[in-house]
Amino acid sequence: MKSKANIFRILFFLLIVAGCTKLKETAGGNLTPGQVSTDTAADVLLRATYASLEYTFTSYQEMLPLTTFTTDEAIAPTRGGDWDDNASWRVFHEQKWDADNSHIRNCFNSLGGVVYAATDLLKYNATVQQKAEARFLRAWAMYLILDMFDQVPYRDPGESLIEPARVRQGLDALAYIIDEINAVEPDLPDGPADVANKFAAKTLLMKCYLNKAVYANRASPTHDPADMDKVIALADQIINSGNFDFSIQYFNNFSPTNAADGKENIFTQQSNADGNYVLQFAWQAVTHYYQGGFNGFTTLSDFYNKFEATDKRRGIAYDYSNSPPNPGRRVNVGFLADQQYNLEDDSPLDFGDGPLIYTPEVTNILPGPNLAMPGIRPLKYPPDNANFDFRGTPCTNEYVYFRFPDVLLMKAEAIWRGGAATSAGPYGNTALLIVNAVRTAPSRSATALTTLSADDLLDERGRELWWEGWRRQDMIRFGKFLLPFQEKNYASDPKYLLFPIPSEQLAVNQLYLHQNPGY
Amino acid sequence: MRPKQLLSIAALSLILLSAGHSLLAQTRVVAGKVIDSKDGAALPGISIVPNGTSIGTQTDSTGNFRISVPSSVTNLRISAIGYQAQDVSIIGMTFIEVALTATYTSLNDVVVIGYGTAKKKDLTGAIGSVVERDFNKGIYSSPDQLIQGKVTGVQMTTANGDPGSAITIKIRGSSALSGTGQPLFVIDGVQLDGRAFQERDNPLNFINPNDIASIDILKDASATAIYGSRAAYGVFIINTKSGQAGAPKLDVSVSAGISSILKKVDVLNPAEYRDAISYYNANPGNDKGSNINPFDAILQDAWQQNYSLAYGGGNENNKYRFSVGYQNKDGIVKNTNFKRYNAGMTASTKLLSSRKLGLDFNLNGSQYVRDGSGVFINDDLTNGNDNVIRTALQWNPTDDLYNADGSIKIIPNGPQNPLSQLNNIRANLKVTTLLASITPSYKFTSWLEYKLLLSVNYSTGTLRSEVNQATFPGFPGLASIRNFELTTEQVTHTLNFNKKIFPKLNLNALAGYEYLKFTSKGYGLSGIGVGGVGFGDYGLDYTNYVQYSDAGSRGISSYLDPSSELQSFFARAIFNYDEKYLLTATFRADGSTKFGDENKYGYFPSFALAWNIAKETFFNVRWVDALKIRGGWGKTGNQEFPPGSAQALYAFRNNGNLGQINNPNPNLKWQSDQQFDLGVDFSLFDHRLSGTIDYFNKKTTNLLFPSPPIQPAPPGSTVRWINLDGEIINKGFEFAVSGGIIRNEKFNWDLTVNTTFLNNSVSGLPVPIYTGFVNGPVETIQNGLPMNAFYTRKFLGLDKASGFSVYQDDGTKMYYVGDPNPKMLLGISSTFRYKKLSLIANMNGSFGQDIYNATLMTSLGVGGIQGGSNIASSVYHDPVKENYANPVTPSSRYVQNGDYFKLNNLTLSYELGNVANTFKNMVIYLTGQNLFMITSYQGFDPEVNINNSINGIPSLGIDNVRYPSSKSIIVGINFSL
Repeated sequence: MKSKANIFRILFFLLIVAGCTKLKETAGGNLTPGQVSTDTAADVLLRATYASLEYTFTSYQEMLPLTTFTTDEAIAPTRGGDWDDNASWRVFHEQKWDADNSHIRNCFNSLGGVVYAATDLLKYNATVQQKAEARFLRAWAMYLILDMFDQVPYRDPGESLIEPARVRQGLDALAYIIDEINAVEPDLPDGPADVANKFAAKTLLMKCYLNKAVYANRASPTHDPADMDKVIALADQIINSGNFDFSIQYFNNFSPTNAADGKENIFTQQSNADGNYVLQFAWQAVTHYYQGGFNGFTTLSDFYNKFEATDKRRGIAYDYSNSPPNPGRRVNVGFLADQQYNLEDDSPLDFGDGPLIYTPEVTNILPGPNLAMPGIRPLKYPPDNANFDFRGTPCTNEYVYFRFPDVLLMKAEAIWRGGAATSAGPYGNTALLIVNAVRTAPSRSATALTTLSADDLLDERGRELWWEGWRRQDMIRFGKFLLPFQEKNYASDPKYLLFPIPSEQLAVNQLYLHQNPGY
Repeated sequence: MRPKQLLSIAALSLILLSAGHSLLAQTRVVAGKVIDSKDGAALPGISIVPNGTSIGTQTDSTGNFRISVPSSVTNLRISAIGYQAQDVSIIGMTFIEVALTATYTSLNDVVVIGYGTAKKKDLTGAIGSVVERDFNKGIYSSPDQLIQGKVTGVQMTTANGDPGSAITIKIRGSSALSGTGQPLFVIDGVQLDGRAFQERDNPLNFINPNDIASIDILKDASATAIYGSRAAYGVFIINTKSGQAGAPKLDVSVSAGISSILKKVDVLNPAEYRDAISYYNANPGNDKGSNINPFDAILQDAWQQNYSLAYGGGNENNKYRFSVGYQNKDGIVKNTNFKRYNAGMTASTKLLSSRKLGLDFNLNGSQYVRDGSGVFINDDLTNGNDNVIRTALQWNPTDDLYNADGSIKIIPNGPQNPLSQLNNIRANLKVTTLLASITPSYKFTSWLEYKLLLSVNYSTGTLRSEVNQATFPGFPGLASIRNFELTTEQVTHTLNFNKKIFPKLNLNALAGYEYLKFTSKGYGLSGIGVGGVGFGDYGLDYTNYVQYSDAGSRGISSYLDPSSELQSFFARAIFNYDEKYLLTATFRADGSTKFGDENKYGYFPSFALAWNIAKETFFNVRWVDALKIRGGWGKTGNQEFPPGSAQALYAFRNNGNLGQINNPNPNLKWQSDQQFDLGVDFSLFDHRLSGTIDYFNKKTTNLLFPSPPIQPAPPGSTVRWINLDGEIINKGFEFAVSGGIIRNEKFNWDLTVNTTFLNNSVSGLPVPIYTGFVNGPVETIQNGLPMNAFYTRKFLGLDKASGFSVYQDDGTKMYYVGDPNPKMLLGISSTFRYKKLSLIANMNGSFGQDIYNATLMTSLGVGGIQGGSNIASSVYHDPVKENYANPVTPSSRYVQNGDYFKLNNLTLSYELGNVANTFKNMVIYLTGQNLFMITSYQGFDPEVNINNSINGIPSLGIDNVRYPSSKSIIVGINFSL
């Protein structure tokens, strides 16, 4: 009987051991919001917010097709078996995209991510400046969403993520963005450029006012001189700060050392914020396989021909830290045209079956026989060659959001559009003088214009700001976006002034989002 | 359960095990012979156990046995799997001859039904059961392959042909909008996690197929509901061999074989390639002047060998079995290999003088090693252009693979040389698994038993991969090491009641409590060589000295997944009235940490009824031996979504940044599957013809779905887990018929045919879902279409003038152009026996499904002729000349008929019986696997499913450069000592 008693004791013991659990989930190697608020400083959340902006600009996948391939500045040709990708690229230049386009969807999502990360930070303990930086980054992302999609979804800090997000639209969204920028500007630092700063805030405000008429009526904007005056006043504040000047070389603004040498840079993307810096795509996406790239995007001959041959912005033999020896002084930055050379020994490049020659004419679908070479290649960011040997390591070029010449050209345009002319700095007090100040700066060396038409202004913005993501906005503001241009020989439907709300987002937020007209 | 407590229980149990055994009394000797009642053939390996004793023996190859029995014994129990057991009186006898009747219908076979067993004739649910004698013969890296084509309603697809790769198992159609859709695996009562190190690894690789006694597949909800929230895709129960009563014996099994490619993809040979260059007006420089077959250069004759030893024995109260196994299997692509080392121990004992305390131990240790040419083995390296199959298909057949000096030719910035990839991109995965369980039980009375199962399944693996700097000029080399640990702990208490509660009414009832805990963690590190220095050419694996890498290039990461625990209460009652009427009711309540606070518990009931008509007195049809009608309904669930989906999580990322990563949904709950099943089991003409017919209708609702986040949402988050409105219905018929076509003393022919007709439809979804990424989605899950319907441009042909593709609506509209779901599955098994010679043929086929041939689209398109790579013969032989600049756009052009029929196994075996008085029950066999295949599909194998999921929504039926399938010839020998 004793053994029996033992058995029961064991059984009893086992039953106790197996007592019910509460089924409380722990976060494993992650943190719950409770742990974040008690154990974490907001600076790590802020770093993540900056990092969240990176990919959408520095990859060629999101902002670039929407802001640039849709215009006369660039094209993403389908090269036989290459670059078809479910036809998702060529629709941009053709202006035939739809609400299922993956690039449009991803761009909308990435910008939404920035809005979320910045908003989420606000629910934790943070310094005044940290919160101001986060709110500025949010305003920047919201501005881009407004510009491209018109409808700007938003959430309050701590809001449930399974509920649809509310939406601000058009001028309401713009008013909110302007209020936010004004509210945080006093708490932002003066610099450096890769931190949200006062001058970045002023530049973004200039964009808001310069394009305000567009957000009211994209098809035929009417600019209010009062808004232009605000643009001019903000420009003068930036000029008079004395913080910005032309760089010694135009491409210093984009070089691997542009954080130090880019005197024109007002706001840039912090490089290496999360170790997955992807700016190398800026050169990989355009150059041929034999130059280490993917042989993708090109400019068009009409755009290339807008430059004078002497205009250094078109391309130069450029020496910079980590640049190749380039003994033949070949154009190694800017637009790469004609025969390409090995920059180590100046031997002409041969892509296996003939010389590698970039030819100016290019079509949306290349008909052959020549598939690899058509198209002049835009190489704005000098490759950080030291960090371009197959490694995933960061290149040190900082992606440029706002630049001082843009401020000058916006001021010139505001005067041209009826704002009251002012004089600030050495740049003159008329639109023509200011434009010529940019053109004739030694780092540009273009000839001065004698008159200034709308086309001149738009073209100058194109020459100065190519591959910087402003062409779509500029062409819309000048009423040229829908008109025929090279490799789009028809006028487009006005619906293309806006991108569609991605159908995937429309499906999950039917309460507040609606499809943009025409889609 | 904390480890310390587990330990103390184990210690206690060991003490209990060492308790004394009883001694035997005075004995006498009985001899005899056992034969088959049909043909009088001697039956070897039949178990002879004197009733009421713990001793036993087996018949030898001539059917004879000899045993010492206590003088008190009056009966011998003569039994064997597949035969009706008999109790034979030995009163006053020294020699007996016993004729056993084969249970061809297997109605008396015992089937494991989850937390218990039942005789097949008493089943009320749809359960497919395959015992060892019916397993596919050959050398298999995982036990699931043993039953391919054997069970109705079960579709098994080998995604890739490399040994050790995963198999897609779909039980009764496709209903997974997320996750793997794989069944729950249960081994000897222990539930597996189901995950492997990476998706392309088979989670059952750690089990030696030679250790498996039977596999039972629970198909309908009345059978699976006892497993509740993990059973929606069926339950795959694996039962391992245990010791048999009788004298200790050593079973030896040795086999070896050779494999080669089953079917090649038709690309141009050098002569055709030259013709094609001029035909397409392509670059004449693409003719490099040589004549080679690059695909053959990556293939090898793949040798494989398998050794298995098992030592076991015991008596009625103490049984044990030890086993060791070694398998070494080369893949048909060079430098790919699978090895496994196994050691297992199982013992069961009945303790105390009353024998009421039982204790079962199970310990299985295993290590498998997969070697690969980077391309395979490693999920990360498979994507993109690093796939050696792709580059071998594409390599220009007029270009040499070697330089004049014999070194491998590297073309800078040009096409990758497949041989360079084979040698320079390498991966090695080593996974070590330990499965241990201990099961004490106590029989309070003959009708009440308590059982406790404690188990731990621990698995750890390391994947080391290297991209050698020789891959292309200037490349400094890459090394990467990843490690993972998966642990599953399980505690199960069950109380079993089995008693005639009324004269004709038997109640078999079960109540239980179960706790499961899943833990997953790991780390990874990688580095790229220093520019200009590289990893060097020292002949060492780079993963042995990662620290030599460029400091800035290093990547490191580690993780511990959020906890995942399940707590369950379950019960089952089986009423059996007079063997005529059977009622089964089950209920399970599952609580999961993964579910949101609102839905911690899910409840899963089921009911089933069966009526043995043939037992009725009014039913008096001579030729009907058994006839049973059964019907059941039940509800099961699926909780296959990542832990941590119900609450907000912040992740640590590189360089001190921390951010939210998910879109928490506190309302999340399990996915619900309701299934109705109606079946008939019959056995006719003296058991010459038997079969099963089932109709099933499975409705899946509350679909667990990785929905897009609602912006603004955490950066980089791609999913928001929800329970989506909508219904997926899988319905169909299953027929399995077995017949003894010829049965006489010398010659037997049995034929089994099983077919499944499937129908799948989706309805009620709020929005269409897209998946199947081939340069963009090519599949949809939407109302009115089958799951994963191919949905892309409709290809109308090539324009004769331009040579460009023409699409319906200019390619701006997508159409339903194909269905990857099979409409019919077919399995045929034929067994001829002539005396000691037998010939077994297993064939299986699948019909009605389409395949998206992405290999053709992405790798073998016409553009290659200008780009200097090879193209598909079908492209060249198209009557319309295609322009080589024709864009490669997804369309119905690449949707091909995937019907196939395979002779997947043909085995000729001969029973030598006892040899030289030392080797017993010797059998030699010759097996051919995949000896032929009938299909019109243009890829390597229509049995294909390469994961092209989008945001975790599974794809189906897409072929994108899979590892080719093989055919094999294997010889083997089994004997006992």
